[in-house]
Amino acid sequence: MDHLFILGCSLILIGAVFAVLVKPIQLALRIYVGVMSAGLLFNLAFALVNLVHLPATPLLFPAFPVLSSFFRLDGLALFFLLIITSAAIPAILSTHSYLNQYLHKAAAVRAFLVSFSLVLLSTQLLVLANHAIVFLIFWELMTLMAYLGLLLEKEKPEIQKGSFIYFATTHFATFCLYIFFFLLHSQSGSWLFSDFQLTQTSGMVFYVAFFFGFVGFAIKAGFMPFHFWLPHAHSIAPTVLSAFLSAVIIKTGIYGIFRMLEFCSPLPLWIGAGILAISLFSAIFGVWYALAQHDIKKLLAYHSIENIGIIGIGIGLGCLGMTYSIQPLIWLGLGGALFHTFNHAIFKSLLFLGSGVIYSNLHTRNIELMGGIVKSAPWFVGLFLIGSVAISGLPPLNGFMSEFLIYRGFFESASIFGGYFPFFMLLMTVGLAFVGGLALACFTKINSIMFLGNERSPHLKFTVTGLDYLSLGLLAFVCLLFGIYPQIILGIISSVVAIFQSGESAQTFSTFAQWNFITGIFAAIILLISTLIIWKVSRTNQRKSAAWGCGYAGQTSRMQYTASSYADDINGIAVSVLHLKSKVKIPETIFPVTSRFHSHAGDFSEDGLVKPIYSWIIGKITSVDFLSRTDIRFYILFMLLTVLFYGGTAILWTYL
Amino acid sequence: MENVLSILFCLTLLYLVVTSRIKTYVTILRIQGVLLSLIMIFPFLHHLSVHLLIIPIVSLIVKAIIIPRFVNKIVIDLDVKRIVEPSIQPFNFLLLSVFSMSVLFVSAHVLSGFTTIEPIPFASAFSAMIIGIFIIIFRKKLIIHVVGFLILENGILLFGTSLSAEMPTIVELGALLDIFVVVFLMGIVINRISSTFAQPDVTALGRLKD
Repeated sequence: MDHLFILGCSLILIGAVFAVLVKPIQLALRIYVGVMSAGLLFNLAFALVNLVHLPATPLLFPAFPVLSSFFRLDGLALFFLLIITSAAIPAILSTHSYLNQYLHKAAAVRAFLVSFSLVLLSTQLLVLANHAIVFLIFWELMTLMAYLGLLLEKEKPEIQKGSFIYFATTHFATFCLYIFFFLLHSQSGSWLFSDFQLTQTSGMVFYVAFFFGFVGFAIKAGFMPFHFWLPHAHSIAPTVLSAFLSAVIIKTGIYGIFRMLEFCSPLPLWIGAGILAISLFSAIFGVWYALAQHDIKKLLAYHSIENIGIIGIGIGLGCLGMTYSIQPLIWLGLGGALFHTFNHAIFKSLLFLGSGVIYSNLHTRNIELMGGIVKSAPWFVGLFLIGSVAISGLPPLNGFMSEFLIYRGFFESASIFGGYFPFFMLLMTVGLAFVGGLALACFTKINSIMFLGNERSPHLKFTVTGLDYLSLGLLAFVCLLFGIYPQIILGIISSVVAIFQSGESAQTFSTFAQWNFITGIFAAIILLISTLIIWKVSRTNQRKSAAWGCGYAGQTSRMQYTASSYADDINGIAVSVLHLKSKVKIPETIFPVTSRFHSHAGDFSEDGLVKPIYSWIIGKITSVDFLSRTDIRFYILFMLLTVLFYGGTAILWTYL
Repeated sequence: MENVLSILFCLTLLYLVVTSRIKTYVTILRIQGVLLSLIMIFPFLHHLSVHLLIIPIVSLIVKAIIIPRFVNKIVIDLDVKRIVEPSIQPFNFLLLSVFSMSVLFVSAHVLSGFTTIEPIPFASAFSAMIIGIFIIIFRKKLIIHVVGFLILENGILLFGTSLSAEMPTIVELGALLDIFVVVFLMGIVINRISSTFAQPDVTALGRLKD
């Protein structure tokens, strides 16, 4: 049992070796999928077994105590290991059918497989690390390998641009994290996470360290002003990787923020309130931007920002609870955040992998060019629909459950704190409900435009392989299971949150609601809906006709309701904030002539914040461009001058 | 005795600055190798042990025999022009070197008041490093760059001996490994480059820029 994890990790590495060595690429891909999913299953089993026996934290390598001290198997680490493995297994299963379209570029596919397996491995080791340097090594490895994975189709210019943005931004995040960990080290005198402790009594260092740590992790997680890299990277990545990016890699930022709460406690009130504000902002604007997108993967990327916002709201509530050490609030906030992290990993993987299936069939990511898929692949559409319902936070599925915990947290804190809190919590509640409403609008938009109606661009057939059904079905099953019967995972979350609850007896989830009652209601709802569907489908025959023909006979499939027009009403509310631009050319003559409509969704953070700063820096750098020579001798001269400068300064400093 | 050898070492450096023939560079590398191994044998004379004998012998073989031969072989194989193309007047270079060496000697003397260094080997070691870098900066030929790096390495090795009688084994191994890596890499690189460019010269490397 102790060696499961080592076994799993070695299988992942072996998978990478097979991907390189096995000659026929089809065979290599098959072996890769088999070996990798076996390895990930071992790691999943390891995480589950250790989570069940939680307060005991075993050693990772029982034979090597020194090596084991670099890793820590506490509840938080194991819970994130659970998230990673349970999102990675479906992604690996989908790899087979998704990469089939690239088999003519065998070298690129092999390189992708190797970097993907290293991403999986380093992400798992990253969350288990207990040593700051080990953490940073795996952090860098994860970032770099994900960057290499982005380059599967490196000949396309948009991919070069997007992957560079990812690369530059995440390196800035790593830079912030170096400062954070060095400050922590200088305060505590140790590199081990278990020894890090920073309190407000250390003065300015506390705030500086918290600032850099939060910025570093928030860039990775994609909180709103720092999110600009996320839509670029997610939309260009190979879909299996963008599923993993969105489901897991941005969650490592959330993991870091959780660790920060552990290191820097107790937090002042304003930090908790600040996290709440920034998260609500991310949630609302993330989903609003999502509504304006035409690119299915960009849309899902903006939904990741929204969900990170919801997770952040939970963390903010937990911070408020930790400031005043109110146990139920800590449980509801942090527990809700952890649960939503898990849920988002599940349903976002489902949606991304689904979009990958659509892309490998239709070869487009533009929603406006899809349509009518429900006729060729009804079961696939059903699975995608389950993911959409889950991400919108509707009752019988898991997305609702985690948001329910966070809503309970609002009401709890309103009644506990009193004063002006009820008003703010009311605002938060309304904000979160607004987010849910917009998400619902967005997913009705994509489900109706992509799946219903007639085909907008003709496609021969829509194939979904068995492995695709397996991976999507597993994810949909988990969505349903934790929506109806969340008691399983809530027990685990209780023991994870116990890390943050000090003093009094740890809260259990059973005090917050009549869980069995909820299970009964939800099961009844599902039964009712499925009988309704069966009844309806068996009775009505499929009818094919022009949508909203209004008597006009010469219709084409392009004359259907579009996603842009669906979203226009809601987006019209905040056009100026969202940087939405549209160009309309309406014919003014009686007879039809060419007319055009073009809409484009910018991003306030990219256009208003990042690009000006970037061009300012570039301007400053080009002013010293004359120093850049092609001759190595100048560089050696510069090095000599630099060393002389520092050496001279040091000597003067010491002896004068 | 160590001081005398160090001064001799400095004189070879000055000769290196004014000479314009590649052959002389190789000869001086050979002389420096012998001088260094002589300097490093003194700890052995004070304290007889096999361990202290390894490094002088290895450095004698590597620095005085293998590396000069290797450099010579490259010069002959690639048919490099046998004179150095300086980008600075030899006399100005000499003035610059003498000036920096005198600054180093004075500051080494000042420093020896505070710390436990032997001023003359210390200053000669530093001079070798500085002049190695100067050679890299002021010469165009790639093969001369290799020699410059080797002079730099000699300086580092001498620096280690001037700090303490017994160098840690790691430092010794590091120094020896560095030499090998630099020479082999440069040898391979020059061989590769010579198949692309007619005359191996650093200015041609600029064309490799993206």
